Amino acid sequence: MANRTPAAQRPNGSTQGKICQFKLVLLGESAVGKSSLVLRFVKGQFHEYQESTIGAAFLTQTVCLDDTTVKFEIWDTAGQERYHSLAPMYYRGAQAAIVVYDITNQDTFGRAKTWVKELQRQANPNIVIALAGNKHDLMNKRMVEYEEAQAYAEENGLLFMETSAKTAMNVNDIFLAIAKKLPKNEQTAGPGGSGQGRRLVEGDTGAKTAGNCCK
Amino acid sequence: MLLATHENVLTIVQAKFSCTEIVKALHLNASIKQKTWIDENRILALVEHELTYALFIIISEKLKPESISDLTIERAIPIDQHFFCDTDLIPETYSHIVFNIAYKNIKLHFTIEIGFESSNFASEVIRSKEVSVDNDKDFKWLDKYTVGIASITLLDTDMSDQSPDLPIARQKIAQGYEKSANRESLLRYQLSLKEPEYTHQQEFSIFVGTWNVNGQPPTISLKNWLSVDDEPPDVYAIGFQELDLSKEAFLMFDTPREAEWRKAIMDAIHPDTKYRSVAYVRLVGMQLEVLVNNSHYKHVKNVAIDTVGTGILGKMGNKGGVAVRLELHNTSLCFVNAHLAAGVEEVDRRNQDYNDINQRANFRRHPYTIREHDQVYWLGDLNYRITEQTAFQVKKHLANDDLSSVLLADQLNQQKDLSKVLQDYTEGDITFQPTYKFDLNTDIYDTSEKARAPAWTDRILWRGKGIHQIAYRSHMDLKISDHKPVSGLFKSEISVIDQNKYRKVHEELLKKMDKLENEFLPQVTVDQTEVTFDLVKFREPQYKDIIIANTGQVLAEFEFIKKLDDVSYCKDWLSITPFSGCIRPGEKCDLRLTVNLEQPLETIYDILVLHLIGGKDMFITVSGECQRSCFTTSIATLSRAPVPLLQLTPDQFKHAENQQSPVLYSVPRELWLLIDYLYRNGLKTRELFETSALHEEVIRIRDWLDLGSMDPIPGSIYAVAEALLLFLSYTRDPIIPYHLHDTCIAAASNYQNCKQIIMQKMLDLDRNVFLYLVMFLQELLKCSNENGTDAKTLATIFGDILLRDPVRNSRPQANRGKASFIYHFLINDQSPLIMPSGLQKYEQNDGRINCWAYSIIGQKNNCDDNLRKYWEYPDAEDPFALSEDFLKDGNFKPDNDGNQSSKDTQSSEN
Repeated sequence: MANRTPAAQRPNGSTQGKICQFKLVLLGESAVGKSSLVLRFVKGQFHEYQESTIGAAFLTQTVCLDDTTVKFEIWDTAGQERYHSLAPMYYRGAQAAIVVYDITNQDTFGRAKTWVKELQRQANPNIVIALAGNKHDLMNKRMVEYEEAQAYAEENGLLFMETSAKTAMNVNDIFLAIAKKLPKNEQTAGPGGSGQGRRLVEGDTGAKTAGNCCK
Repeated sequence: MLLATHENVLTIVQAKFSCTEIVKALHLNASIKQKTWIDENRILALVEHELTYALFIIISEKLKPESISDLTIERAIPIDQHFFCDTDLIPETYSHIVFNIAYKNIKLHFTIEIGFESSNFASEVIRSKEVSVDNDKDFKWLDKYTVGIASITLLDTDMSDQSPDLPIARQKIAQGYEKSANRESLLRYQLSLKEPEYTHQQEFSIFVGTWNVNGQPPTISLKNWLSVDDEPPDVYAIGFQELDLSKEAFLMFDTPREAEWRKAIMDAIHPDTKYRSVAYVRLVGMQLEVLVNNSHYKHVKNVAIDTVGTGILGKMGNKGGVAVRLELHNTSLCFVNAHLAAGVEEVDRRNQDYNDINQRANFRRHPYTIREHDQVYWLGDLNYRITEQTAFQVKKHLANDDLSSVLLADQLNQQKDLSKVLQDYTEGDITFQPTYKFDLNTDIYDTSEKARAPAWTDRILWRGKGIHQIAYRSHMDLKISDHKPVSGLFKSEISVIDQNKYRKVHEELLKKMDKLENEFLPQVTVDQTEVTFDLVKFREPQYKDIIIANTGQVLAEFEFIKKLDDVSYCKDWLSITPFSGCIRPGEKCDLRLTVNLEQPLETIYDILVLHLIGGKDMFITVSGECQRSCFTTSIATLSRAPVPLLQLTPDQFKHAENQQSPVLYSVPRELWLLIDYLYRNGLKTRELFETSALHEEVIRIRDWLDLGSMDPIPGSIYAVAEALLLFLSYTRDPIIPYHLHDTCIAAASNYQNCKQIIMQKMLDLDRNVFLYLVMFLQELLKCSNENGTDAKTLATIFGDILLRDPVRNSRPQANRGKASFIYHFLINDQSPLIMPSGLQKYEQNDGRINCWAYSIIGQKNNCDDNLRKYWEYPDAEDPFALSEDFLKDGNFKPDNDGNQSSKDTQSSEN
């Protein structure tokens, strides 16, 4: 019963274009702040002592753009190395990924690069990848230079921002940037996986019968 | 009339009311679609009190109420002139319909199953509406039901007050009784409730025109009809009837008139602005075109058309209607151009045609009914005539400019007053002469023999909010038809969206829904994510329990899911019970992880993925050390082990496993011990291999073998037999290697071929084991009188083991071939085979071959003791050196096959 939409209930078609649903996965070394970024983005919260993720946490969040609405299905994965082999379960079929490192830890940046490589090799070829240098609030302990990461991101066609889950710096922005970069037409949907950027609302298709181009 | 099964419920529901209030009809399980996150079930009851009717919406604690205390009246809606109800089909569903109820500003939608109950209930409600319509009834009796719950008039505000917080029946969701409603429909519903917050009303002028052109071509300009107003209208909706009366138009659906009239329209529309056509539809002679001012074009969307034929056979297009629906900004508009049944007496047919058009028009891809639009403009040649007056009388009234006398006799007005047609549609005052029927090209009413009474056949009515008619007129200058065109000019309020406000409302709603959605994700915790087993031993199951607790607000459905590329959700040495299930909020579930090791593993390790349906995944790591056992070790390793398996140093084991150390025994000691024991104690035992033994005894024998215990073998003869079968079943590789299986099965019909495979293709050590076993089985068969066994039974048992499939019993169809293969070796003399060259080689190289045939042949000495001595003192003299006696017993006779091995045997003897 739940999924049935009685015809009578439909309002008069909003100007809202369409809602696209995308699967987004967070990858990166453990303790770089993946869960904290998600928690900040989704709930606006920050916990100094965020528990280690053993598994893959799942949350959803909607981002409104000018003409479309993007709903992210966010999979926040476990960073520990021993769970590495399970990561493909989550990035396979994902349309977007945020690879996170900790700007105070050079190793995590190296690990981030290998994640990017793995994604480029094995994920959906159209995947939008963002690189997030987290813990910007710990600037004084910085070990990874902004320029270095930015150059790497440019070389590899990644979105790049330094973020802070603690101060909320650039957290919404990086998700928004991804939402903007994601293709919104159906053709981009890869095979398999859930919520492949499918259109959820029939918005303006009807006008085509009259041969016009209404938005 | 009520269904028998509902009689009990009726009694209970009736008890909720006083004795003068009679429950006339009931509907159980009406699922209400509302602003909340969920669908809820209601009971609908139609109650009568002194000829007034009311619809009660009742909440029931149970699906089927058992007592009056289960019921709570949620709403009481009087059935009076403000009450409307109808039903809608649900696209792509044939099992349910939507039952819509509207009362003033309240709109309720119930999804109900199609069936006797629903049709009966709906028709009872409609009937009660029909009796209630006329007079003002007294509904004071409802007051007592509306005290304490929102009063009817307040219901509307009540609803919008609630919506910001999206009230939710958490308990019901939690218990799994209710499911979350579809997010998108909820969003749309919420948005529609908040429409006033992001829209404002803007007046649009809409010109609606209708003309029955009597099949004439457009030889005149339509300007005097379409461009008579000073201001250009924003929207034109222009309908024609009888566009083409030819047979071709009727049968071929094609007419040149279509293009001609469309062009005539384009030539005649208001010259002060530009228009674009948004929709055009024609069914035989009925044509409807909708044009909008260019500047509005981009605000038109979801345009759809439909046609309904009600003519010949009730479906042909000579009569019926064509319709265009569209959305202009945020207001939905529907234009219907109808041509209803002709003939003075055909009032009922016309009413029927009207109903058919209403019922059948659905715009397919935009499945709205006509009535569901915010504004409906109904135009056309509705064909209602003047009755009760003769043509002469009518003309006389008209000559006196006395329209009102004639209008009293207008069938449409009469039928509308009776609610037979165009109920709740409005028509402007008619101030123009009847538009039918004129002699062509004149203003003179029908002078033919029939001399029809003039009539207002051509009409324009409307329905919906914010519509103001500015003009309603006929256009006498257009004379080519027997009808005159009619037009209506409207100022209509169109709801225009303020994009910024809309975005804000939309975003707020989405945020709210995200919050709810995340809040309603299933959440569980597990008491441990690391499960470590104690030392895991071969076929000795061990279990660990973990506890999953539902810490969320909703039912948590969990299951273990397989990882990418895995075939199962866990490794084959592990089992999980239950591996899926449901946990209610606040409740727990115990999972048992059981390890049963049958593989040659040093450690076990697996990461389980516990998935919550619609939610997160959790990883549970399972690990443990394994104790090695002779049962899962390869023949090659065992044959190289100088001491029992568990006495081996890691280095010794590694060397043996890597085949770096020399082969010490032609058959593994463990195998020899088992077979020797069976040979000496079990030859006369009935059903030796078919009787299951105590599991603990088999486990003890396992330890006895692995540790090299000096105690007597700790188990019954059956346990030893079972241990032998297990040994052969679980050796790291099957005795006959996988790659030879197909060859073996193919050769099964020919002993010579079978023999060749064994002698030429098998590794020496495997061959030894094979032949040794076969010799023992032959000994067993020699005693078949006592033990009751037969070669076929043994061949079947051992065929399946010696030629075991990589995945157990994956090829049951091959079992017969395997048995046949083994059978040859059981019934043919194997003695020529048992001194293969390989064996001699060990003898020569190593000098301490043990005679594996020795025990079979029947040495009565205590072989165990000798062997033990040998094991303890590996350097001692070989206790099983071939003795002359042994050879004389004659078991190693050369056969006449003249094969290589017999020659070798002979030569070695010499």
